[in-house]
Amino acid sequence: MTLSKNLDDLKLDKKLKVAILPSFTLNGLDETFHVKCSEIGIRYQSYVAGYNQYNQEILDPKSKLYSFSPDITFLIIDIRTLLNEIFHHPYSISSSERKKIVKEKISELRNLILQFKKNCGSKLIISNFSLPSYSPSGLIETKSEFGFHDMISEINQELSKIAKDESSVYVYNFNQFVSKFGEKNIFDYRQFFIGDIKIAFDYIPYLANDLMGYVKPMLGLNKKCIVLDLDNTLWGGIVGEDEFDGIELGQSSNGKAFVEFQKHLLSLWQQGIILAINSKNNFEDAIKVIREHPDMVLKEEHFASLQINWNDKAQNLKAISEELNIGLGSIVYFDDDPVNQERIKQEIPEVLTVKLPEDPSQYTDILMSLNDFNVLQKTDEDLKRGKMYSQQRQRSELEQSTKSIDDFLKQLNIKVKIKKADKFTIPRISQLTLKTNQFNLTTKRYQEEDIIKFSSDNNMIVGCAQIEDKFGDSGITNAFIIEKNDKEWKIDTFLLSCRVIGRGIEDAIISYILNEAKNQGVGKIRADFIPTKKNSPAEAFLPNCGFKKENGYWIYDLKDSIKTPDHLLLEVE
Amino acid sequence: MSKKLYDIISKVFSVQISEINDESSPETIESWDSFNGLILVDELESNFNIKFSISEIIDVKNVKDIKRHLNNHGVDLDE
Repeated sequence: MTLSKNLDDLKLDKKLKVAILPSFTLNGLDETFHVKCSEIGIRYQSYVAGYNQYNQEILDPKSKLYSFSPDITFLIIDIRTLLNEIFHHPYSISSSERKKIVKEKISELRNLILQFKKNCGSKLIISNFSLPSYSPSGLIETKSEFGFHDMISEINQELSKIAKDESSVYVYNFNQFVSKFGEKNIFDYRQFFIGDIKIAFDYIPYLANDLMGYVKPMLGLNKKCIVLDLDNTLWGGIVGEDEFDGIELGQSSNGKAFVEFQKHLLSLWQQGIILAINSKNNFEDAIKVIREHPDMVLKEEHFASLQINWNDKAQNLKAISEELNIGLGSIVYFDDDPVNQERIKQEIPEVLTVKLPEDPSQYTDILMSLNDFNVLQKTDEDLKRGKMYSQQRQRSELEQSTKSIDDFLKQLNIKVKIKKADKFTIPRISQLTLKTNQFNLTTKRYQEEDIIKFSSDNNMIVGCAQIEDKFGDSGITNAFIIEKNDKEWKIDTFLLSCRVIGRGIEDAIISYILNEAKNQGVGKIRADFIPTKKNSPAEAFLPNCGFKKENGYWIYDLKDSIKTPDHLLLEVE
Repeated sequence: MSKKLYDIISKVFSVQISEINDESSPETIESWDSFNGLILVDELESNFNIKFSISEIIDVKNVKDIKRHLNNHGVDLDE
């Protein structure tokens, strides 16, 4: 924990302000967050409210909490504090009194949440309550009329309902945390009596790890793609030596472990995680297993890229990143061979290389304990991503069989639908600003609440575009934010998801914006390009569209004619 | 003598071993607060494979007290 004091925060480019509001002594969480944030490049600032001060901090609009103005707030109340005397003596009162108390507690919690939302733009993570394994009524607890355990379950259910209605509020399942690690480990009576510590400090790092799950997607640090080795990773043995019938997959104990691992990978794919292969093998040997082995859960259609060859694995990983247009920092790599693991760690430290043990029965557990695939909202685009990538492969095939790029673009029958920000598109617009690194003029990151605010401002335009072509729907892949003045519009944000770059879509959308400004009698459009490590794909965009550099900004004089690409169809909703 | 104990104390409170003696206490070691005190308990228990009672924990006022309780649990510090 002392490590946190020595961290050189100034080198880190992403910033995060975290508030922690505990109802008991929760030392160590702050320090652990600090270390974990630094490890992934976040400059961490924190405010830890005094012991059991959460009520005052939330209810007083002038509190230190609000003047700190956090980005994310963790409100961690324990069940003993919430229920007070009733925690020990739930059966000293009637079931209808228990019901009444639960109602009161829920309305207290709801009030805290709503007051917090009113006073602060921060995301709020509130922990739910752990269900004690003990009950004074013993075995017949489950037969009790609205018993002790029913009380806590009811509070947890209602808390989840409140969070479902509030987009910036999330419930952290602390009850599940306790059942994962065990009540007897988490709650140490000695620490409780000596220091009112309700989470034993051996388990604080695990709690911090869980809670970091909320932080990563907020800052766009979540992983999008899993790259997998084949031999001894997706199946046991080496197909080149043991041959098709000799590999372990399905029947044996080890074989079952690989099937289980694949099933979990498939479930992540269904949630929008991209899968790819990086394997040293003869392509024919390996693809035969993928296509024909009866116990293969993952099929060819699930893989967005198949790098099966004898090339260097680091080179293959870079090729996957380029082919799929996703940053190396978004990739998790699974390979059973420690030499390969070390090689990738050295060569491409941005990739998260998983330390796999020899025993495949551990693979699934390791995959499930990775806390890097979380998103804070799930859009239609996320769920369709797997399919979209296989459509992308078909597009590449058409591109390779067509002679000129113009012919290719014409054959695609691209349709660009411009949409306004509304309750359906706002989550996706925010997500695009958080995740898009490459084709992004200004790389400004906005949470959902920011986009809601902009879209209700009459001096701003917030929009996005949905792209379709003959192979399918790519979903909403562009977003733009414009500040309006009578004489001049300023482009605050203009970005395009990398998977649709290079099809003239960006030109069509900018020409729509230019025409729109011209029709409203505006003279000029001002834009900015803020270079980052990753956004060079957008660098030439403004000059190519006819913007001219004046005093450090890119200006488009609307007296000039506006070019519109003719290979695609533009619709405005 | 007592090297293992001093190593643990030094690590938990981030102080030099040379600064630790029998009279070291929360008054002389700045980082010895109640929370770090509990971390010390945890480290001692796992390193010496013992379990302290609450009264033993709250009885500790300085390093000499720690040695006394370790002795009571059969830990030989001169090993």
